[in-house]
Amino acid sequence: MNCEVCHLKELEVEHYEIREVLRCILHTIIFHRALGLVRPKEIDLELFEITYVQCGDEEVEKKIDEKIDQFIGWAEKHPNKKSQICLSFFEVKNKQVSWFGKQMERLFWEHWYISLNVAQQPKVHSLKSHNNKVVDTGENILEERSIRRASLEASLRDVLFQIIRFVNDKKEHVPPIPNREGFISFPYEIAIPSSSDSAFGMDMFKRMLQTGHPTMLSSD
Amino acid sequence: MDQIVSQFLLKSLHIILDSRIPSLHPNDQRSGHRTSVSRARKNDKWFNLVLGDRPAALENLNFWHRNLMDPMIIDVILVDEGSNSSSVDAYSAMKASVETVIERWVVHYESSRVTPNINDSSLHKKIYKKLIVLLRSLYSQMRLLPAYRIFRQLSSSGQTYNLDLIYKVSTFSNPFSRAEEEMMKEYTFAPVEASSGRFSVAVSYRKTLSDFNLEPATSLFPRIITDYVGSPATDPLRSFPSFDKGVRATSFSLRGARPPSSAPFQRPHSWTSGFHRPAPFTQGHSLGGSPPTYCTYGSPSPPTDMYSQRAQSYRSTSQRVNSYEECQLSPPFSPSPSPSPPTYFSSGSVGRNRGRSETAPMTIPHPTASGNARYLSPNFSDPNRHSLPPLSPRHTRLDPSSQESPSGIRSFRKQESLRSGELHNHYVNQKVTKDGRDDSGRFSGLLSSSGSPRIGFSRSSSRLSFQDDLDDGDFSCPFDVDDVDPPASNAVDGREGSELTSSSPMGAKSQDAAVGVLVHMLRTASPLEQNSSCYSAQSLNTEQEGGVATASGFFMPRKTTDALEELRSYREMKNLLRSKSGAHVLTKEEA
Repeated sequence: MNCEVCHLKELEVEHYEIREVLRCILHTIIFHRALGLVRPKEIDLELFEITYVQCGDEEVEKKIDEKIDQFIGWAEKHPNKKSQICLSFFEVKNKQVSWFGKQMERLFWEHWYISLNVAQQPKVHSLKSHNNKVVDTGENILEERSIRRASLEASLRDVLFQIIRFVNDKKEHVPPIPNREGFISFPYEIAIPSSSDSAFGMDMFKRMLQTGHPTMLSSD
Repeated sequence: MDQIVSQFLLKSLHIILDSRIPSLHPNDQRSGHRTSVSRARKNDKWFNLVLGDRPAALENLNFWHRNLMDPMIIDVILVDEGSNSSSVDAYSAMKASVETVIERWVVHYESSRVTPNINDSSLHKKIYKKLIVLLRSLYSQMRLLPAYRIFRQLSSSGQTYNLDLIYKVSTFSNPFSRAEEEMMKEYTFAPVEASSGRFSVAVSYRKTLSDFNLEPATSLFPRIITDYVGSPATDPLRSFPSFDKGVRATSFSLRGARPPSSAPFQRPHSWTSGFHRPAPFTQGHSLGGSPPTYCTYGSPSPPTDMYSQRAQSYRSTSQRVNSYEECQLSPPFSPSPSPSPPTYFSSGSVGRNRGRSETAPMTIPHPTASGNARYLSPNFSDPNRHSLPPLSPRHTRLDPSSQESPSGIRSFRKQESLRSGELHNHYVNQKVTKDGRDDSGRFSGLLSSSGSPRIGFSRSSSRLSFQDDLDDGDFSCPFDVDDVDPPASNAVDGREGSELTSSSPMGAKSQDAAVGVLVHMLRTASPLEQNSSCYSAQSLNTEQEGGVATASGFFMPRKTTDALEELRSYREMKNLLRSKSGAHVLTKEEA
């Protein structure tokens, strides 16, 4: 069993679009990995003409929203930065460590990297100064915005197609579905860039260590 | 294994039909349907995907799909019914539908080897798991393809359109013609390999569906109205996509943009919910809410301002009414006096705005309950109208829908005219009988000042007759009334201004003055009604019913002469009252 990694296409988003875009992507991914009994829930995006599907589980929704809030908080402190959110699925394994007894370990079998470029629109402060120009810049900004919005929508749609394609192409590595009641989705975690590391690299490094674990105890 | 195959076919058919064929689940609220907490039926739990009720068509699948190995080809067909069935000859009647395959799904379990099925449960589990994933992605994909938008549009509002989505399931299919193929794009889901075969799902879909114009069927406007009864919660712009869809079928621009664009529209629409807010208020409140009459006087304030002003007037009015502590106005009576002029005035615009939900109050039943709302809504359609000119293209397109409303409007107008006419008669009688009473005198004085709105009323009633002619001919120029109004309203302004100066300390032709006038009128109404007790109540009730009767469909065109006579009578009234108790009026103006 190996760990599959998917790097999604980078998206340029504005601050107010982050929540919707992230929700859409995260829920879509999880829906495809929520192999327990689900009642799919369709959600229409407000900002775009896209409908995505949620797995309908409230806890999942809550967790995702929390993470998104955290990310938005981080993005506000680090404006105009490229950032990545990593959604990873793992298996919980009991690793027998010799003296200290069992240790829970996470074996990641899939990583999704969502790349966002949070752009900050230049604020139109100059409203007072140039009377004539204001109208023009206002209109230009609106036009740019709508162009940008349209291209973001197309890119978001591409990302969703990308997810579907990836999900379809790589099925082998998905662990067996546990039979327990109430299982909705494989355990997952969402990693957002934290304020502490400037480079996102530390997290990635850590994760690489874990996933590259030599003793794979998978049954498949 | 066979069971897995057949269930897979069933499930995939279910998914596809569920998200393409609106007729299968006509009354479902989509989200409610999906998230119902009820226990899923056992059958539905296959592949861990609960989809809800299975369409009956699926039950038949087993019958016709004899051989599991055959491909199941599902064609999603867009049927374009001929738009107008107005022409009578047989040929045109037959020309109706053009069927176009917009999507073709092929679900196939290809059996590769003839080796006996290995009943290895773990193997089956794996296959099952993979199929689960496949179906999940199918489910998502259904919503990303262009045809989904059409499906949503067709199934969302209660209207019928000129297009319809139907499906056809078969094991063979005519291959597409060259031209058609060029328009199609293909997508194949990754097949799931099983020991004895392979599951594959593929789709050919039309890249763009902009060739199809989604237009509402013209015969169902009454339904539109009922949809909007008292439901500001209904998406106010839902009608827009249907009306504006002459442009593109895939232009979800309205739908998608609906929430953000509904934000600006929310403002004018936000006061539809305001319409319904007054309903629970006491009558005084609701009446006080008729500062819209000052839009009768041609004040083109944007709807948001109207709203806030209305809110303010609500507050002020409520204070005044409370301080005034007169008894409650009976519901049938209270809405009538003041709001009626604005009702007249803007009844035309109500029709225009019918595409928006603020016309919800315009619906006919519940004269008492909806009376307030009804009276108020026309008021607000006024500011709406003033704010509308930039949106006129949209509204001209709304006009086909407003064809239905004229009859409703006319009936309302008739009702209003009747009621106000009779009320005036009442007022005249009241004033004659209660000269001695300060209050009544004041009220009558106020009535005289309120005669200005009355004049507006009569003006509007005279305009009503004009409008009738207009309506009879063509309702497609909503802003014609606008053209009529401002000059008339200016005239009224002049009159009102003069009357107000005479009747109140405020000399300015201000909107506040108009509000004050209305408020006074309202307060006028209550004691009058009290004093006249049974007579007025009865007569009002009867006139209410009479009004209802007229509203229910009988329409009698009013002549200009009638209106002018009314105007004259009002003038006389006013002069009479002024002469009697002009001084009392002055005291009543409260800030």
